[in-house]
Amino acid sequence: MYTPGKTLPYRLELYRQIKRKRTLFSYIFVISLPVIVALAVKFGTSGNSSGPTRFGSGTADLIGLATKGAANFTSTMFYFATPFLLVAVISIFNGDTVASEASWSTLRYLLAAPVPRTRLLIQKLKVSLTLSFISIVLLITTSWVVGAIAFGTAPMQTPLGVTFGNVQATQRIVIIGFYLALVLLAVAGLAFYLSVSTDVPLGAVGGAIGIIILSNILDAISGLGAIRNWLPTHYSFSWFDALSSSIDWTQMIRGASYSLILFSVLISLAVIKFNKKDITS
Amino acid sequence: MVRARRLLAAVLLITSVGAGSYAYAGANYSTQELRLNGAGGVALDATIYLPKSAPAPAILLAHGFTGDKKSVAPQAQELAARGYVVLAWTARGFGNSTGQISMDSPTGEVADVSKLIDYLSTRKEVTQQQKGDPLVGIAGDSYGGAVSLLAAGYDQRIDAVAANITWNSLTQALFPQNANDPSFGPYKKFWAGTFFALATLPNSVAGECGTFTPDWCQAFKDAVANGVPTAADQKLLTASSPSTVTDRITAPTLLMQGEADSLFPLSESIKNASEIHAAHPSTPLAMIWHSGGHDGGTDESAKLHKSEMDWFDIYLKGAKKTFSKFQVTDTNGSISLVDSSVIPKFLTSTSLPLDVPTKSLQIPVPFTALIAPIGGIPGAISSLPGVGSALALAGSVSGATAAFLPGQSGFLETAALAAPIHIVGPSSIKLRISSNAKNATLFFSLVVRTASGQTKQPNGIVSPVHLSNISNSGTDFTVQLPAVVLDAATGDKLAVAVSTTDQGYALPQDGRQYALTVQSPLTISQMNFTTKVSHFSLYGWPALALIFILLAFAWSYFRRPRHNTLPVEESDALVTVSNLTKVYKDGYKAVDGLSFKVNRGQVLGLLGPNGAGKTTTLRMMMGLIFPTEGEIAINGQPIYPGSPTLANLGSFVEGSGFLPHLSGRENLELYWKSIGRSDEPYFEEAIKITDLGSALDKKVRSYSQGMRQRLAIAQSMLGMPDLLVLDEPTNGLDPQQIKAMREVLKSYAKTGRTVIVSSHLLAEVEQTCSHVVLMHRGHLITYGTMKKILTKAGKRAGSLEEIFIELIGDDLTIGKEQ
Repeated sequence: MYTPGKTLPYRLELYRQIKRKRTLFSYIFVISLPVIVALAVKFGTSGNSSGPTRFGSGTADLIGLATKGAANFTSTMFYFATPFLLVAVISIFNGDTVASEASWSTLRYLLAAPVPRTRLLIQKLKVSLTLSFISIVLLITTSWVVGAIAFGTAPMQTPLGVTFGNVQATQRIVIIGFYLALVLLAVAGLAFYLSVSTDVPLGAVGGAIGIIILSNILDAISGLGAIRNWLPTHYSFSWFDALSSSIDWTQMIRGASYSLILFSVLISLAVIKFNKKDITS
Repeated sequence: MVRARRLLAAVLLITSVGAGSYAYAGANYSTQELRLNGAGGVALDATIYLPKSAPAPAILLAHGFTGDKKSVAPQAQELAARGYVVLAWTARGFGNSTGQISMDSPTGEVADVSKLIDYLSTRKEVTQQQKGDPLVGIAGDSYGGAVSLLAAGYDQRIDAVAANITWNSLTQALFPQNANDPSFGPYKKFWAGTFFALATLPNSVAGECGTFTPDWCQAFKDAVANGVPTAADQKLLTASSPSTVTDRITAPTLLMQGEADSLFPLSESIKNASEIHAAHPSTPLAMIWHSGGHDGGTDESAKLHKSEMDWFDIYLKGAKKTFSKFQVTDTNGSISLVDSSVIPKFLTSTSLPLDVPTKSLQIPVPFTALIAPIGGIPGAISSLPGVGSALALAGSVSGATAAFLPGQSGFLETAALAAPIHIVGPSSIKLRISSNAKNATLFFSLVVRTASGQTKQPNGIVSPVHLSNISNSGTDFTVQLPAVVLDAATGDKLAVAVSTTDQGYALPQDGRQYALTVQSPLTISQMNFTTKVSHFSLYGWPALALIFILLAFAWSYFRRPRHNTLPVEESDALVTVSNLTKVYKDGYKAVDGLSFKVNRGQVLGLLGPNGAGKTTTLRMMMGLIFPTEGEIAINGQPIYPGSPTLANLGSFVEGSGFLPHLSGRENLELYWKSIGRSDEPYFEEAIKITDLGSALDKKVRSYSQGMRQRLAIAQSMLGMPDLLVLDEPTNGLDPQQIKAMREVLKSYAKTGRTVIVSSHLLAEVEQTCSHVVLMHRGHLITYGTMKKILTKAGKRAGSLEEIFIELIGDDLTIGKEQ
């Protein structure tokens, strides 16, 4: 018997995606960041990381702070991963998911099976978001483990000079992880929309990454003023508020809400578009 | 296009009107250059800004030290655009005004203000309350702020005051004494020297004193020489201090002070406020501590100018506005990692920081010893004019800093804090000093020491103390620590830092040793603040997000395609194609009015040259493409995307589609599972068709085209659907396989199931099919049994091309033309 609600079960789609080399390489990409940074800091030339810090003149000495312990190392990895690494990985998972089916011609057989079109998108989105979330969890856990092996488990010390005990540090890291997961939903939504719009997986992934890089560049132009508040990446660093002694939630609430808004708009655009589309791939 | 542009213009017009008069600030007022009489025959260079609507309340706008009327022009324009008459003038001794600088003395600059008010009472553009008493407010920064407060005390005609970063007592500002000792504090030589030089150097033709009055010039010389003012100097300093008139100020007063200000620290504004409040508790009073100041800090002037205008709107125009009594910008604890800029928090309170509740913190090790070096060198640097806080900020990260030199500084620390603490305002502690000298100069501050050994001194502000007559057994004193905005986290320690040197001040020249013991707990102020977070960001944004999510759901629901799900009329045919037409977006008509029926057990050949519309028809049959007109039904059920009746259809169209990273077997299994059906897949039968043998367990990526093709046909047969739709199934197969495929299809149809095969090769179709649909350019050419078609075309015809030539001539060109 055919039951629409049983088509393309979540675990099946998860299996189909996890078996892909793309998934494996993306996760290796995520894991390699903390490993490479730890090796570079541990065995590279010490540079001036022990010298005077450049707090007043520019950015804080993040590498110097990273070597203080596992929790510090993790928060530094957040800083390095936010603008590109996580964006790239999330764009891959969400941008490739529908477009790759189109490029393999499997999409038409799934739809003729028939998997109802909205259901196909929802099932695929569930899986691509799961994979995206795993990448954030993976970043946190490997950063912490690598940091603990390389630099021990000293209390967390933020660039602002605030010190957290291990319990508090863990809480903050979890908060940051969840915030990143929320704020990157906008990236996921964008990549997913592009994935439905094209039959070329590289186009959807590259398009999403390109738009995010453009948004980052525009965000750095202070002359644009308040317009920048509406860029999809404007709040991607607001998790930094979670590192101050008492958390100021304003920016994070705004960032997460804005990201959810963009996500829901983009996903419904994707659904509407897909439901009307002639599948010619 | 033109209409759209006009519409846009209209929209823009409406929005710009809505944005208020700001957009037209340039055209909203006019100016007149004036030369006005000050007190004692001094001529003052002035500009009056007249708004369009008259009469209006007036604002006197005073400039800072070394500035002139032009330096307040932007603020004057802003006020004029808001509908105020603004009188900006150059203070005596500066710019094009005559006279000499007498540091806001009652007979000099303050008397000038009264003369200006006299002038305003003669202007008809200014609202007059009584004859000679115009409705007037006064505002200014620093030097201009002091003259505002002093004038408000001396001239009762002033109706509202806004004073920024100014002093309460000039004596205290220049000879700061923060202990209960009758002597003067150490001379603030760096700041005083900087200002004296700034005012005299441009007028050096006038001699070493520039345009200063001789009295003030002498006072400066005395201070440099002795480090203390003479009795005459003291009189001058007192006369120029708002503290002498604060008990007379009854006009609503807004006091603004900078956190980054070592010249006029926050404590000056506390004194102004408490004195005004003590004398006249009903005087409306508000205070803003911002992140700027004479040391630089973060410029908030745009925000402050807005607050000043709100203040004047309330007290000069009677506007109904809410104005928080006390506003504080907190720059601690959040710095943007992106560009290192400070992300401030805005705190508000409903009460002024005058009689605040306090909290006591014990000092576990209540002792420190320090030396003062001979000659005061090396000297600590807490803050310097114009550099101030940057040094302190740099120092806050590393251990030893320029602000605390080893041996010359000490820390009286609290225990590690069990909870985060937030301090806004002054603190105090009682200490006992013993020394080998009779007097002492010390610099105190309240700092945060983190567990990692960093010391954070808020904005580099110190409380200088001078102690006279230290007895041999030691002398007790209470020190008022700087008023600060400070955050400390759990695990941090608060500490009273003490230093014997500071390069900003005059220091004793002989070497000394000091020992300090704590006599009381550290008393800190505990004010309750509400962070000025708009409710919108706390609840509005999440609510907005929720609304958007719901709207997005509703939108995609209502925009979902509607399909006709009603069964079409009863018919014994398995497939009914009626009046099917497909026009692609680019206008290409692929299928045009196609109708035919397929009965159970038939093997139907869909024939036509390339571009005839065969594949388009099959895709519509699979629910992949939306027909422009007409419809297809299987088993009497209409076909649309996701139509349940598609479960009875197995298909192979335009090549195979497999996950390349999985094996053939896995692909078949996953496909069956993804259909979500629970009935028998006839797996073994399907696998037999593939004829793949052991290759079935290799990844599809390694398959040849023929292997993929056979796997795809097997996939289409999974579950033995009632209808099998195959598009060019024999492409890429070798002759044996083609032969086997024919047998498969024939035997499939024998079970009562139906097969539709599309092809452009007649020879192939001839041997398999029982019925034929012949298409050309989207049209149905002919339709019937294979035998009938072959007869019609004549015996010689052996290929599809030849049949076409027989039936429709040689019009085999394919294209869009119709």
